[in-house]
Amino acid sequence: MRREIGCNRIDHQLSRRGFVAGSAAGAVAIGGLLTPAQAEAVKSGQKRILQVFLQGGLSQFESWDPKPGTRYGGPFRAIPTSVPGIHICELMPHIAQRMHRLSIVRSLDLKTNDHRIGRLRIEKGRTAGDFPYVGAVASKYLAPENPPLPGYLHITTRGLEDNTNAFLGAQHAQLKLLGVNAPENLNRPANLDEESAQRRNAFRRLANERFAGRGGQPAFTEAFDSSFEMAKRLMKRKSLFEQEPSAKDIERYGSHPFGVRCILARELLNNGATCVKVTHHGYDTHAENFNFHLEQLDEFDRTFCMLLDDLHDSGMLESTLVLVYSEFGRTPKLNQRYGRDHWGASVSVALGGCGIVPGAVVGSTNAEGTEVAEREVSGGDLFHTYFRALGLDTSTNHDIPGRPVPIGDPSASPIEELLA
Amino acid sequence: MKTPTKDTSPDSAQSSSAQTSQRPAPPPLPENPIDVSQTHVVTEFKHDIPLTTCRIDPTGRFVFAGAEDFHVYRWTLSGDDSSKTLFTGHQSWVRCLDFSRDGKLLFTAGYDHQIGIWNTADEAPSPIQMIDAHKGWVRWVRVSPDGKLLASCGNDNLVRIWSIPDGKLQQEFAGHKRYPYAAVFHPDGKRLASFDLMGVIKDWDLETSKEVRSLEAKFMWGFDQKFRADMGGARDMRFSEDGKTLIVAGLTEVTNAFAGVHKPMVLHVDWEKFEHLHKWKDDAYKGMVWGVCEHPEGFFVASGAPQGGNKGMLWFLKPGEEKPFHSVTLSHCARGLDMTPDKRQLAVPQFDGKLCVYQMTARTA
Repeated sequence: MRREIGCNRIDHQLSRRGFVAGSAAGAVAIGGLLTPAQAEAVKSGQKRILQVFLQGGLSQFESWDPKPGTRYGGPFRAIPTSVPGIHICELMPHIAQRMHRLSIVRSLDLKTNDHRIGRLRIEKGRTAGDFPYVGAVASKYLAPENPPLPGYLHITTRGLEDNTNAFLGAQHAQLKLLGVNAPENLNRPANLDEESAQRRNAFRRLANERFAGRGGQPAFTEAFDSSFEMAKRLMKRKSLFEQEPSAKDIERYGSHPFGVRCILARELLNNGATCVKVTHHGYDTHAENFNFHLEQLDEFDRTFCMLLDDLHDSGMLESTLVLVYSEFGRTPKLNQRYGRDHWGASVSVALGGCGIVPGAVVGSTNAEGTEVAEREVSGGDLFHTYFRALGLDTSTNHDIPGRPVPIGDPSASPIEELLA
Repeated sequence: MKTPTKDTSPDSAQSSSAQTSQRPAPPPLPENPIDVSQTHVVTEFKHDIPLTTCRIDPTGRFVFAGAEDFHVYRWTLSGDDSSKTLFTGHQSWVRCLDFSRDGKLLFTAGYDHQIGIWNTADEAPSPIQMIDAHKGWVRWVRVSPDGKLLASCGNDNLVRIWSIPDGKLQQEFAGHKRYPYAAVFHPDGKRLASFDLMGVIKDWDLETSKEVRSLEAKFMWGFDQKFRADMGGARDMRFSEDGKTLIVAGLTEVTNAFAGVHKPMVLHVDWEKFEHLHKWKDDAYKGMVWGVCEHPEGFFVASGAPQGGNKGMLWFLKPGEEKPFHSVTLSHCARGLDMTPDKRQLAVPQFDGKLCVYQMTARTA
């Protein structure tokens, strides 16, 4: 494991007292009181995942791997963090105060500059093939037997539809939530009373049994069954989507879409979700990379830290793996529009929480950030690391009949330095 | 400064002196008149890092440029690359430059949140003073007509006024809701104009420290619905010498902010009526206008960079006309523009690191 050394003039402009003050502010904001849901979540011992997906390709230079004063470093400065020796971009001052809760991998080489392929390599941990996403695997192996919410929830406003569950069963597929809006048709139709609804369900189950009894493939009805089950769970928890965020939450998280989505993410995690993915759009900066990162990271930095604080202060961070990632990074060389283009050869991601050593930096890039210099890792390595941190042995096979399919790519391995 | 019709070398002076002892000196040859159709490169100063801006000092002796390596460079306009002098002190890119009226002081606006004050002609320059000017990038600096004040604007949404030469904060104007990109003094020295990301022009009264009026130029801003991002702002802004009009360089018709798909625009504002006088855009050229100057012979020059490819442009525009009356393709993308005090030459900083000097006359035989 390599830790950064050295500092520049700006190091001395941020004091340790500032870090302590920042952390204290977070603690005061929460007040140290757990909601009943949070208390239950901590007590349950369930492990879970929070994925923060910075869609479009976050620039590693403007975030986790700054190279100020170098040929391609851009205009932003590096700032010290709460972990001595670790510097990140000045666009993330709140994260800098909480660096002791996160770790950085600076040496991810995805070997692609394609949005979809890069995303799949990080989500599936495989370079090719039909494999389940991180969230689907979490839903399958980390969720309790009768989970109160669908196992894999994705709060976004757009994005491609994928076969996220692959062979794991429809109940583990991503349920995409459009912003903070409740899924459509969550309310029972007005002309259908509870008794009638139960009778309809009973009839559906009977039909399924008859279908199976006549040699029908269960898989044909499982998808429908899981949809009904998912709908029932969501109907019971629809208040999660109906309650307005408190003024205090809005003040802390921000009133912008990403702010209210992160408030919903917190509520979903508090109420038994196994994997919640929140997408923050707008990092595909082929033009005006610096002006746009200034805007986007201003939203991300503070809001993400409020969510991190809430998880920490409720005690849930110890059982929640936090991932911050993009589908790739951005080119060292600037184009003539002050943009950075797609770059998968030296990407940074951040991890924290359950099972992760905090305050570490794994790997490095060379002086100008054009390639990985030390400890190259792959999407497959990250995938193993996520689940090893959560206590799942990724060298074993998926729990599916008929064929042995390893959970993690056998050609990859976990990043041991990151595992607590 | 190199001009095509003058030979100011010592050898030529001596030769001329010898001749005068025998017969009266001939009258100096008349300078070629301004003819933008004959615009041509006279000097290329080279640097190996993209440039960010440029200015020519008021005496016309030096040209300065900021670069993406955090430094500012000075060249002697009449010299060559060997005259290149390094000004180091900022910890980020320098976006804007200006000078004291006598040209002795250089002011630099840095993305390191600082304003630098330097002696323009120092052989081994170091900053006289670095001012912590804004919380966030300093995007612009301009000296007042009487030379006593310096205006700056930055990412804290403020416009600030500093005294020269001591660099003390004198006034602060708050009112822009998004980043002000440029701020310039009116030639009467009583007012100040500023232009922000959202295309809002504000008129500030320096005597009362209050906003007098506000004019929207929303067409120089775009909100990309897909990426939820604002794109706009001024890339250059100047008053006419008589103070009757204001010209602003930037963009319009943003259709894809993240790919940089927009058109270049120069806005001409009637300052007295405070209304748009003319909006010039190039429908055939997707890109940005990075610099604009007004020439005393009644035309504007604008420099630009394209969305794709690398051919920058110089447009020569007449007020109110839809099409440029002349244009020059540059060797690479422009990042600004300035004009020599004699209004015969243009300096263009480029993305390829070159600082090109163009003469707006016919070549000398």
